Amino acid sequence: MFHLYLPIAGNSVNIFLILGLGGFVGLLSGIFGVGGGFLMTPLLMMFGIPPTVAAASDSNQIVGASTSGTVAHMRLGNVDIPMGVILLIGGVAGGTVGVQVIKLLKAMGNADFLIAITYVIMLGGVGGYMFWESLQGMRHDNGMPIEKKKSRPVVEGRKSFIQRLPFQYRFEKSGCEISMLLPLAFGILVGVLAAIMGVGGGFIMVPVMVYLLRMPMHVVVGTSLFQILFTCVNVTIMQAWSNHTVDFVLAVLLLLGSTIGAQAGTAVSKRLNADQLKIMLASLVLLVCVKMMAGLLMTPSIMVSLKGGH
Amino acid sequence: MKDIHINRICCTLICIAVVCLSWCGSASAAEGAVSLKLAHTTLRITTFYNGTTLKASGIVSADADVLLHVIGVKKDVPLKVKGKVAGLLWMNKTDVELENTPTVYMIYTPEKVGNDLLLSQLDMDYNAMVKDVALLGIGYKALVGDIKITPESADKKFVFGEYVKLMEKSGVYGVYNGTVNYGPIRDGQKSFMVTLIIPPKMNAGTYLVEAIAVRDGAAIAHADKKLTIELSGLPRLIASLSYKHSLLFGIMAVAIAVAAGLLIGVLFKGGGEAH
Repeated sequence: MFHLYLPIAGNSVNIFLILGLGGFVGLLSGIFGVGGGFLMTPLLMMFGIPPTVAAASDSNQIVGASTSGTVAHMRLGNVDIPMGVILLIGGVAGGTVGVQVIKLLKAMGNADFLIAITYVIMLGGVGGYMFWESLQGMRHDNGMPIEKKKSRPVVEGRKSFIQRLPFQYRFEKSGCEISMLLPLAFGILVGVLAAIMGVGGGFIMVPVMVYLLRMPMHVVVGTSLFQILFTCVNVTIMQAWSNHTVDFVLAVLLLLGSTIGAQAGTAVSKRLNADQLKIMLASLVLLVCVKMMAGLLMTPSIMVSLKGGH
Repeated sequence: MKDIHINRICCTLICIAVVCLSWCGSASAAEGAVSLKLAHTTLRITTFYNGTTLKASGIVSADADVLLHVIGVKKDVPLKVKGKVAGLLWMNKTDVELENTPTVYMIYTPEKVGNDLLLSQLDMDYNAMVKDVALLGIGYKALVGDIKITPESADKKFVFGEYVKLMEKSGVYGVYNGTVNYGPIRDGQKSFMVTLIIPPKMNAGTYLVEAIAVRDGAAIAHADKKLTIELSGLPRLIASLSYKHSLLFGIMAVAIAVAAGLLIGVLFKGGGEAH
């Protein structure tokens, strides 16, 4: 009772458990604008779903969650479509390069190690920096002096270089005028990392837009969801077509939870300021980082695993 | 007169044949013939399937014991063996492949091992015996002998042992002690009954259920039945679409996800303003 059989995963799952997982990740998606792939895939694997099926079906559910989130944010005027399209083009190009990098690493026999290390470094670096800067911002809001602002001169120096780049464009929603090459380059970088790490890349894209492109946080969330939507449409179709790993029933269950969760998350994010949003996302990213690090350091209970996917 | 003589010869020959046949039959029973019957030979995986159980029963000689095992098709299983990198980090490190390895392997043993039949040739305790009845050609120890590992330099016993742990965790490998129950003895025979566990991870396919009669530590007879597990209804439709119309399936999955997202968006319209 209350179980559904997943024919592609080859296992049955508790309906309410999957609805709850979807709802939880959808909530994060709505609040932070991240797809949640970095969190959902390991969670599904913990409940007996094969890694390749978990990753592909998760992409499918992110399509639904990010559609819901994108629509909600578009209604609020939080999506910078030109910025999103350029990031998407970069992301697709970078993803293609990343897939080739993975092939090369696998041939060298050390792909898994590099993937895990990339995860820990990226999650730790991004999460740590976001956490530290949000704390600084919150202390500043409370009237406490900020200890140092050494990064400012560097940013100013970078601005002048950025302004000299060709294809300058005024991104109205983001409130900045920069070269289109800049988001394209970041899109490629994130695409490469996302392909290596096997996730949508929202948790990398958000800090890139906040800290490197200096976009307002709420536009970042909407634009990130917009970019993730199209990335995951591509991934879902490709995975279903070439690998047969999209489990429709699992995706529908996750969707039911995550689409509702995404709406709830959008409502929750209204009540939080930018620094609170950032510090919560940073805490989440750091938590996943610590869990992964613990997994690398602790002796496994079973010394073999079935080969398949990364 | 001649006809009567021929008839007598024929009658005598027939009688001899009948006596021989009945003698052979009784000899067979005495040697521990075993029969096996499954409550169902086909199980269907439907939408709300979460594994099931299956009654298996049969008759065995009173002086023999019976073991049952369930075996899946044999396949080559690629594995990653974990190891430490830089003396610190545990990672999937080495590629190995277990060849000719059954996808499902379960053993069911009797509640009491009558006459210590199984123990007679093995100087070990009961628990060790049921995991290790290699002399009968069943059990993990016997199984590892049939399996090859690539590369050959890999530690086969260690890798197989860890693989067994992994499979036992998902429910497709297992040794179920004391699960075969006997009925009363009648005419030198006794009935047996066991409830087989069919976990949800036991996928669609054909499996062999085998009953082995054992006396004095040796297998003296066996009977088997094929068990078919097949997809039915929605799971069958989805599996068929996924494998036979994969591109259409991918586009459909995306379309439904987008539609669901839009629908939820419409339902929540007005629920979210600028923040």
